[in-house]
Amino acid sequence: MAETRLAFKAGRLFRRGNTNFVDADPTKGAILLQNGEDGLLHFIWKNRSTNEIEEDLILFPGDATFAKVEQSSWGRTYVLKFSSSNQRHFFWMQDADSSRDEEFVGNVNRLLADPSIVPIWYSEGYNPNSAGPSSAPAASSSQASAGSYQATPEELARIRSIVSTLGAGGSGGQAAAASQPPPEISLTDVLTPANLRPLFAARPELAQALFPHLPADLPSPPTVETLERVVSSPQFRAAVRNLDMALRTGLLGGLVRTLGLPEEAGVGVEPFLRALQDQARREEGDGGDRMDTD
Amino acid sequence: MSGDDDSSGWQLTESDPGVFTELLKTLGVPLVVDDLYSLDAEALAELQPVHALIFLFKWVGGESNEPSSGGQYDPEFPGFFAHQVVNNACATLAVMNAIGNIPGLKMGPQLSELLSFTAGMDPQTSGMAITSADWLREAHNALSPPSAISLEGLDLPKTTEDAYHFIVYIPYAGSVYELDGLKQAPVKHGVYSESGEGWVAKARDVIQARIATYPPGAVEFSLLAVHDDPLPRLQEQLAQLQAAGRQAEAGEVMMKLSNENAKRERWAFENSLRKHNYLGFIHALLLNMAKAGKLEAATEGARKALQERIERKKKGELMDED
Repeated sequence: MAETRLAFKAGRLFRRGNTNFVDADPTKGAILLQNGEDGLLHFIWKNRSTNEIEEDLILFPGDATFAKVEQSSWGRTYVLKFSSSNQRHFFWMQDADSSRDEEFVGNVNRLLADPSIVPIWYSEGYNPNSAGPSSAPAASSSQASAGSYQATPEELARIRSIVSTLGAGGSGGQAAAASQPPPEISLTDVLTPANLRPLFAARPELAQALFPHLPADLPSPPTVETLERVVSSPQFRAAVRNLDMALRTGLLGGLVRTLGLPEEAGVGVEPFLRALQDQARREEGDGGDRMDTD
Repeated sequence: MSGDDDSSGWQLTESDPGVFTELLKTLGVPLVVDDLYSLDAEALAELQPVHALIFLFKWVGGESNEPSSGGQYDPEFPGFFAHQVVNNACATLAVMNAIGNIPGLKMGPQLSELLSFTAGMDPQTSGMAITSADWLREAHNALSPPSAISLEGLDLPKTTEDAYHFIVYIPYAGSVYELDGLKQAPVKHGVYSESGEGWVAKARDVIQARIATYPPGAVEFSLLAVHDDPLPRLQEQLAQLQAAGRQAEAGEVMMKLSNENAKRERWAFENSLRKHNYLGFIHALLLNMAKAGKLEAATEGARKALQERIERKKKGELMDED
């Protein structure tokens, strides 16, 4: 399954005949970097109006670079160059706000140099995994459209400040709490030791069943006690917070698919939990004993 | 600041004694690292012999290029000193600056090769030599969480690690030195007396003077002590006391041993948890909650918790999410 590693809004430029001039094409688009099902890194340009992939380039580590075109007086034109060929692809940044251009470019180049190092990270206002038509109108300030949740710049700023306090050992939280919480429930309030302990107590067989999901070198036997210790650990709490924050960006469609959930599950915490309810029901249904739901 | 390629594949790690100790183990160095909650003589005596103190603080930036108060640059420092040339490596760099200056230290072949390779290099080149050692980077990265659902990227270009800074204090040739990878040269803080507590007494004065230069509450800091692994010593003591029939003292040592072992067990447990990607586990937990009919109630509870947070926020109280 293709996994999107990076996405941001960008349009294309085309060479004028055989000259050295390039002209910007106004079509709204986005650059996506994906780990393809073939195990290779794909550099994709997607038309945001039609949602069609119009360019799909396979990149080998270290072969390509994404560089600023210094001759461009406008300053937001970039070129994808290959060391193995003379191919050139030109792009222009379409995010209304130019302040993050350098971050995007830095991330692209890091990923091009080593496909394994860049964390999931998306441009605000563009969800590469939303199926519908263009979900990002030119005025990128609009909150949400077509049912897909979009993080506003303010929210992203908040996420950034929260993430920056997550810090080592999950000792953050304090400063995060002091900033305004987005009006969405938190996964950390769902996966609390208080909620999980009764589950483990009622179903001790879970210790064996869940153990394959824990580190193989965990120096502790597969017992309910170990499970309780794990779910109370700062490392687990930090991981839950991390996933919670990631879900709040509304951009985890690609990631949740790897869990057998529909893309819609990746647009927020509640949709994620709803999709899990459905998945549980389906699995119970497959097992033959239908659950009596109201 | 470009925020671009300054991490060079070095990932963020926690500044935790368990992480440092694991790193030392990988490097083949028989030392351990412990948190120091206090600089008083008693706390330090427990850990003797202490080979280095690592002072870790949230960097306030804009530090002057002057040597810290009371010290003087020593560009002729003959020991090991490397500059911090990439982000995220500073914890490991601090460890290197410490263990590169402990005479007669036992270490693994890769580390001793790297240290002799850097002999005679200037601090900048040493820093580059260290941070381009693939095996060292791997040892460092082995203790950072996997990036599958990491949001580190959102915090670019200024990563969390930028905000932290490590300074190492060591005894070297009769003087206390301060090794700060962001300063041009080691800072010499003058000679120490071998009697009594030895170098740590002088180091304490230097560190306390440094802390005093910050306005109260302006910086968060912690102190780590790099010291001999106490386990072999404790085991030996225990054997001797038991052989001599001194049961009461033997019991005390046994208590220390068991505390020490419990700490190692906790470190091993946490280090294992630290490297793990929890996505599958979280998914399985939630799925089982749903199957047990407990997910809806938990979701409802989370809604209440959210409401309460909003209410409290309205009242202007400071919230605490944990």
